[in-house]
Amino acid sequence: MKLRVPLLAKLAVLVVATTAFYTYVGQMVPQKEVYPPVETVIKADVTTADMVKIGQDIFNGKGLCTTCHTIGKKAGPFRFPDLENIGARAATREPGLSDVEYFAKSMHEPDSFIVPGFNPGMPTINKPPIGLTEQEILCVIAYLQSLGGTPNVTLATKHRYNGGAEAPVAQAAP
Amino acid sequence: MKITPFKIVVAAILAVLALVAALRATTYFVSKMEYRSPDRASAPELTPRGQGQSDEHQAQVKKDAAKPYVEAEYRAFPVVGSRVAVWVVAQLHLLFAAFVLAVPIFALIIEFIGYRTKDKRYDHLAYEFTKLLSVSFSLTATFGAFLTFMLIILYPKFTNYLMSVFSPTFLPYVLLFFAEAFFLYTYYYGWGKFSPRVHLLLGLGLNVVGTAIMLIANAWLTFMMSPRGVSEAGALISVMDAVTNFTWMPINVHRVIANVAFGGSVAGAYAAVKFLQAKTDEERAHYDWMGYIGNFVAISAFLPLPFAGYWLAKEIYAYSQTLGLTMMGGAFSWLFIIQAVLIGNLFLAANYYLWLGMGRVEGAREFQRWIKYLLVVVALCFMVWATPRSIIATVSEVRAMGGGAHPALGFLGVMSAKNTAVNILILTTFMSFLLYRRTGKIATVAWKKTGNAVQLGIFAAAAVTVIGLGILGYFVEAKVRIGLSVPQVGSVLFAMIAITAIDVPLYRNATMSAEVRWGRIPAISQYVLIFIAVTFTWLMGLMGYVRSGLRQHWHVYGVIRDTSVDAFTPTLGFATKIVSVTVLIFFALIGFVFWLATLHDKKNWDEREQA
Repeated sequence: MKLRVPLLAKLAVLVVATTAFYTYVGQMVPQKEVYPPVETVIKADVTTADMVKIGQDIFNGKGLCTTCHTIGKKAGPFRFPDLENIGARAATREPGLSDVEYFAKSMHEPDSFIVPGFNPGMPTINKPPIGLTEQEILCVIAYLQSLGGTPNVTLATKHRYNGGAEAPVAQAAP
Repeated sequence: MKITPFKIVVAAILAVLALVAALRATTYFVSKMEYRSPDRASAPELTPRGQGQSDEHQAQVKKDAAKPYVEAEYRAFPVVGSRVAVWVVAQLHLLFAAFVLAVPIFALIIEFIGYRTKDKRYDHLAYEFTKLLSVSFSLTATFGAFLTFMLIILYPKFTNYLMSVFSPTFLPYVLLFFAEAFFLYTYYYGWGKFSPRVHLLLGLGLNVVGTAIMLIANAWLTFMMSPRGVSEAGALISVMDAVTNFTWMPINVHRVIANVAFGGSVAGAYAAVKFLQAKTDEERAHYDWMGYIGNFVAISAFLPLPFAGYWLAKEIYAYSQTLGLTMMGGAFSWLFIIQAVLIGNLFLAANYYLWLGMGRVEGAREFQRWIKYLLVVVALCFMVWATPRSIIATVSEVRAMGGGAHPALGFLGVMSAKNTAVNILILTTFMSFLLYRRTGKIATVAWKKTGNAVQLGIFAAAAVTVIGLGILGYFVEAKVRIGLSVPQVGSVLFAMIAITAIDVPLYRNATMSAEVRWGRIPAISQYVLIFIAVTFTWLMGLMGYVRSGLRQHWHVYGVIRDTSVDAFTPTLGFATKIVSVTVLIFFALIGFVFWLATLHDKKNWDEREQA
């Protein structure tokens, strides 16, 4: 006797099997839950070395820096500048700006200077959705200084965006 | 059942008994709830324990009376949680809304073709598509109301904020909804009752109003992703700016096209079910044709869809690079591998259906011999598109590869390769369409050789441009590479438009070498149509998730933060399970819609009894 499968059953099997297949594909890719950034408590007496550590955590977490930037990537494609040795290069990026001022400007006014060969696209770091506090920004600066340079910022360091003196205006090239 | 006086008396006695019981229960309940003044109370003297309990009760009453009103920020939905509950209801609302918006678009076009050509078959076909609308419209409205209540109950503070920003849009929305009901039901019930022009105008009105509703709803959801017109603290500055936010227009365009593709596929699935249920050759021929038209609508809209997707992605990047990179390079990057599997399947299934369809025409062998080559190209493009940039590997494998990316396959995981693959997929599917269109036809124009040569030349030029720019992408800096997708897309669009412009006059007065035998197609083709509809629905669910989930821990990106227990991004595995559940519920409900539509053609009960 030939078993006759009702059409409705065939259709149900097709719909369920197709859906199950795509669910299976969904289980095959890497599984990761992404949690909101954890707020970092920064004590008033942290040392520069502590700030480097805290800055690294913020760089990899709340700051979302690694969404765009790489450190030590040897070959392209590069969408945004690689930050290896940025601590050594920062002071020479813009004439008249120290490394601290350059980093602070990059985070507070990211579109004011674009590294040649790249498109603008960095968000303002002290505003939402990233919204780092000025203390957190100083810690990130300490970490960036440590990438090929010598960190020297403290929580008392002033730059033009946290109440420090206005940075000198860059002189136009002759 | 025959009604006798005896039955009426028994029913009356039972009714009186039920009434007496209800009255007794009500009096008992009311007397229990009645206020009794303390001097009437027959309370015994309080023991020390009783006094303590009474004092506690009084203290609680006093505390309750002084309790301040605190507005709830979130409420929890039992078992599955608020996010999943809102997710499923919103997705179901969206799927039905997409269907209700899409069907009138192509029903009107088909009706117009029937009006112009005086071919009644088109008019009947358009009516058959429209039959699916009325129940779907009710389900859309029901899920819309359900979603609104869920948002108010589960996310009261956030919903209140959205209302404060968009309150001027609500009244027009409601009025448009009434107008849509008016046009939809008049269009459906007025089929054949008005002059064709009046009826076409009703259909046009339905489409205009439906699109306007979609534009308003899109403003709300796109504002959540790319807010505009509000201060940094979220205070409203301009409603118009909030409506015309950065991703509003790209979403509008993307949704119209995607809705048509989705609606066409679901209508095609309906035709497939009817084909499989058909008892006569005539029915099979009709539903084969209907399924073909549904699939034609779906794939025609599907081909330009990636281009609308590019534009949307470009606007997301332009609004926020962080958002764009979260989508393509961060938490959601692997989702696009799942998307590649879905779209690859859609292309494979659409091509397979066309190739099966060639069998309807005698003498199709000339064209069928090209199928194997097209299949190889489609399969290769599918593989390239589904190749991830970094591969899941063990530590030793990663060491052996020198990183997360495979030394050879890793090159196929970047956008240059993927853009190339999808553009060639589109070109290949377009070629399948063209071959199908030509089966059984012999061009009679004098310039047919030149026309064919020019068409082939355009195909080749477009393919070379796409592949060449794809290769160039590996050797230029980011700034240049991003811009290369535009000429890639442009060349494919140009090829499709130019080749169609040549093909139409080329085959205008073509002679037929054989008849198209509608209904002469293997049954598996109909299951392919249903597979396409399920895949489209699943794809819509997945892309709806990425659009919404992209905000991560923000209700309104950068303005209103999500502080609920669900403020984390779940795993893709979890998300795909929710998408699947939604798709299954949708198909259970759309099956009900199909069943109701078939009731329309069934004989009345009396007629069947007499028969």
